[in-house]
Amino acid sequence: MNRMSRINRGQTNIDFLKWWKRGLAISAVLVIASIVSLTTRGLNLGIDFEGGVSWEVRAPGVSVEEARSELESVGEGEAKIQIVGSDILRVQGPESTPEHTVEVRQALADLAGTDVSDVSVSTVGASWGSDVTASAIRALIFFAIAILIYLSIRLEWRMAVAAVFAVVHDVLISVGVYSIFQFEVSPGTVVAFLTILGYSIYDTVVVDDKIKENEGLVGQSGRMTYGQMTSLSMNQVLLRSINTTVSSLLPVLSLLIVGAFIMGAVTLKEFAVALTVGMLAGAYSSVFVAAPVLVALKERESKYRAIRERLQSQGVDVTRSTERVDRMGAGSPAISAASAASSTASATASATDSAEKSTQVASPSVVIPPRPRKNQRKR
Amino acid sequence: MKRLRGYRSLVVIVVIAGAALIYTFVAGNKPLLGLDLQGGVSVVLKPVQEVDNETIDQAITIIRQRIDAIGVTEPEITRQGNNILIQIPGVKDKERALELVGQTAELQFRPVLANVPVDPQEATTTTSGDPTATTTTVAPDASIPTTTIDPTKTVGGLPLDVCASGLSAGEVNAGGQAILPQCDDGLLVGSYAVGPVSLTGSALETARANLSESGQWIVAPTFKSGADGIGGFNAVAGQCFSKSSTCPTGQLAIVLDGRVLSAPRINSQSFQADQIEISGSFTERTARDLATSLKYGALPVEFEQQQAQIVSATLGRDALNAGLVAGLVGILLVAVYMIAFYRALGFLAIAKLTVEGALLWSMISWLGSNNGLALTLAGITGIIVSVGVSLDSNIVYYEHLKEDVYKGRPIRSATDKSFVTAFSTIVKADVASLIGAGLLWWLTVGPVRGFAFYLGLSTALDILMSWSFMRPVVKLCTRSKFLRAHPRILGLPAEILQQTSRSAQARVQAEVSR
Repeated sequence: MNRMSRINRGQTNIDFLKWWKRGLAISAVLVIASIVSLTTRGLNLGIDFEGGVSWEVRAPGVSVEEARSELESVGEGEAKIQIVGSDILRVQGPESTPEHTVEVRQALADLAGTDVSDVSVSTVGASWGSDVTASAIRALIFFAIAILIYLSIRLEWRMAVAAVFAVVHDVLISVGVYSIFQFEVSPGTVVAFLTILGYSIYDTVVVDDKIKENEGLVGQSGRMTYGQMTSLSMNQVLLRSINTTVSSLLPVLSLLIVGAFIMGAVTLKEFAVALTVGMLAGAYSSVFVAAPVLVALKERESKYRAIRERLQSQGVDVTRSTERVDRMGAGSPAISAASAASSTASATASATDSAEKSTQVASPSVVIPPRPRKNQRKR
Repeated sequence: MKRLRGYRSLVVIVVIAGAALIYTFVAGNKPLLGLDLQGGVSVVLKPVQEVDNETIDQAITIIRQRIDAIGVTEPEITRQGNNILIQIPGVKDKERALELVGQTAELQFRPVLANVPVDPQEATTTTSGDPTATTTTVAPDASIPTTTIDPTKTVGGLPLDVCASGLSAGEVNAGGQAILPQCDDGLLVGSYAVGPVSLTGSALETARANLSESGQWIVAPTFKSGADGIGGFNAVAGQCFSKSSTCPTGQLAIVLDGRVLSAPRINSQSFQADQIEISGSFTERTARDLATSLKYGALPVEFEQQQAQIVSATLGRDALNAGLVAGLVGILLVAVYMIAFYRALGFLAIAKLTVEGALLWSMISWLGSNNGLALTLAGITGIIVSVGVSLDSNIVYYEHLKEDVYKGRPIRSATDKSFVTAFSTIVKADVASLIGAGLLWWLTVGPVRGFAFYLGLSTALDILMSWSFMRPVVKLCTRSKFLRAHPRILGLPAEILQQTSRSAQARVQAEVSR
């Protein structure tokens, strides 16, 4: 069986216990890099945060230099002049009087050869951006509390804590990316970050639900640690996670590439960049942050610690995930080994494999427990 | 009929979606485009100090009157927390609109040079004595009215509709002389030639309306101390009292928004800061109105213009096109991906998206036509993002289904069983997203709200559609003997025959010995 079809069947055997350690290292590096960049370089705050006036007009064929020399006559020679999208001329200057704003608007209309009503003007007070940010931070805090309560009720508090931990991780890294690459931050960006929160949670909930379903595995049989069970659950929902991420990312990537870059809608770019970054971080963190945090919390519980210690005393390697027994083929310790084994599927290899298995796992019916039945039957 | 019971919700939801779509077309409902998409003026005003709800509502009323006065159709003025968002779509004279709503007009004190006579024919409706056609006096001893301005005089160089149209900054001419109207309910009732502004509203500490000892309503302003307060007032009051050339009539006009509110006669050489009274034939309402105006300027609270935008119609249209094209491409991409991956089930996911889209379109159109809720670019982004949310639900279900079939459950029973578990996951995850969207909507301002609203709306719709559409259509498919015999069409693995699934161990053994 090749790797793809294993993923397709939810029968991969990735040792997430091992990967979590790597993930931890990666996350630590990213978070530290984000914090360092935030403190040293800071964020490239847009006009909305500093206050000022921004003019935009569609001006095909007008270069920045032409615009600058033209604008010098109305005293905006120092203004920040950019071509955004394909042919939109954007001029940003400090706050000024309404009369001056009109003057510049007229100058730009003349330059672009259009009517003055075709020039967009945006005047922003210095407090607007910080207000949006303040309300965003407030929303973030409220969101964290609400999610803690909600997931504590629907799942359990440890999962809630792990999920919120992952969300904070996502926000830090997303903001870090904006700082490292010095992308311009607009209120739209802040909004998009907030939307990520819901997304990040969605993925985490899917994984947590599966873990909840498999929890009996640890409790009843006592044959694997909580961490090993979680790693197993991750393997089972791997395709689900991949597909939900792809199906969410495709529309957003289309916004970014088609909407923002090809068609040049600047507002779309603000949303799309942040959404893309946040979604990638969200998909990563539900696997590599939320899950290990949950395992760390869970294995502090006396029940699961006892199981772990018992398994350890039995000489079971608890630092690796259990080998899986799949009804469709032979399980093997790692995915690479799995594909190798499948290509040269010899009877002896499979036999030794299954012999090893029987020492660790009683029967496959334990590995895949019966789904909890609901009482009311539909028909 | 009994066999159809499980599918009732499918019929209901499809009929509802169809009916909604037909209703939308028949009623001619269209989404109301936000002004970032159709061009227009948008202003966010923020009060500079903490205010109560009543004050904000009062301010909104005043702003609405001002915008109505320039003849703009359907301005949208909404409260967002303590901020006021004013959106005026497609207005022609954008700068003027911006000026009107964006600036809190300043209260001015200006010496009256002359009472310009008002033409009797033109000022037709207000012939009887009107309380705001003030008969006023300023005196520390609350003296009796001394002058009556006859409203039936002239229009003195002012257009008749001046009260509705207002004056430009140039016409108000703060630094020099001007002819300013006095208005009552939008009608011209008087006209004054006034000198340069000698004092602004910032000199005032507060003002209140009182009943005087003689039982009349009076307005009592209190000035700040120092040269910028009472000092400045006394300087001009002195000129007016002595009827010097700068104030020959002895009256001091209180001007707001380029309109004379009142022109009381000065009855004393100088005043104490808190001993000033304006008396005349006030009613309780007019006295309170004047006190409010003195206190706050035009609006009951001072506002700071946080953001003002003039969006040109062409740039708006470009943004709309980009959003639509990007959305279509995005949907096409995920459709290809889903169908490639899940075959017939993927197709059903797209069908669900289509029905969802019909419902969403109807709702957006209805809200746009009836509640004035505009669809902004941020909202479109929210909807595009929600495509992912909707498909996520399908994926969660399908993967569950696949897993169950791999485990040896027959496709038909797996269809029902895995829906129960998958739906519980979907609801949990969607509610978490809804909480996020709800908080965003509640706590934020501006474009954020549109985004959150449409994301929340489509997420809620997704829960409904997962149960009432996805569940029955998948069930319908797996009922088909043909499709069960060809599970690849459904994107599902082949069913494992009963005897092997009974003992998985045996299956493994069989594999080993092969």
